[in-house]
Amino acid sequence: MSGGEILSTLLASEIRGDLLILFHKNPGLIDTVDGIARRIGRTTITVVSDLRELLQLGLLKQKRIGASEVVFLDRARDREILESVANHLQTVQIGGAK
Amino acid sequence: MAMGTRESSSANHHGNLWPAQKSGANSNSAVEEAFSSLLTGIVCDALSNALGRYVLDILASKGLLDDSDNPKEFDRGLQSLFGNGASVLERIVVKDLYRKLSIPYSSNARFNYEKSLETAKEVCFVESRLK
Repeated sequence: MSGGEILSTLLASEIRGDLLILFHKNPGLIDTVDGIARRIGRTTITVVSDLRELLQLGLLKQKRIGASEVVFLDRARDREILESVANHLQTVQIGGAK
Repeated sequence: MAMGTRESSSANHHGNLWPAQKSGANSNSAVEEAFSSLLTGIVCDALSNALGRYVLDILASKGLLDDSDNPKEFDRGLQSLFGNGASVLERIVVKDLYRKLSIPYSSNARFNYEKSLETAKEVCFVESRLK
């Protein structure tokens, strides 16, 4: 996946933007899907598909703790993703094509 | 919205967003300056929190932040760099700005970055007059 495609995936919706902010502000956060939805002021059903996209990208990871399935930020993958986005943005000029 | 525990440092050290009331043009320009400074801080926080400090530095080096208090130019710059993602970043900025100014924000309402900033600026002027 190119840096441009990653960027499009990250910023595909307002909910994804909220999720990015939530996990970057709280990189140690581990919570259930319900809890994450509550933290960004949404309902579970509205965040599921965006969470799934970020899980698929590898930015977020999922694991089982006891009876709960929890989601957390994969910090190493996050660094890779942001580096890839940064490299892409370096090649783009404001107001024009590459 | 309970988004996190960290607060940005956009307000001054007294926790006030606006300068003390002065008269006439001085007052207006002081509020303009305070608003511009608040907005620039929020834009930097939003970009850094969403995409990381390194991306923010790149955007700053490209001059994007020079236009952060000029909504038309800033929007044009964001669009050319982020395409459709620009509106997501603008919503993040407006949401944070509105939260700081206690203005209700709705994700469902039609979004216009320039108009949203005008509304916020009006609130700033009104608040500064009420002080």
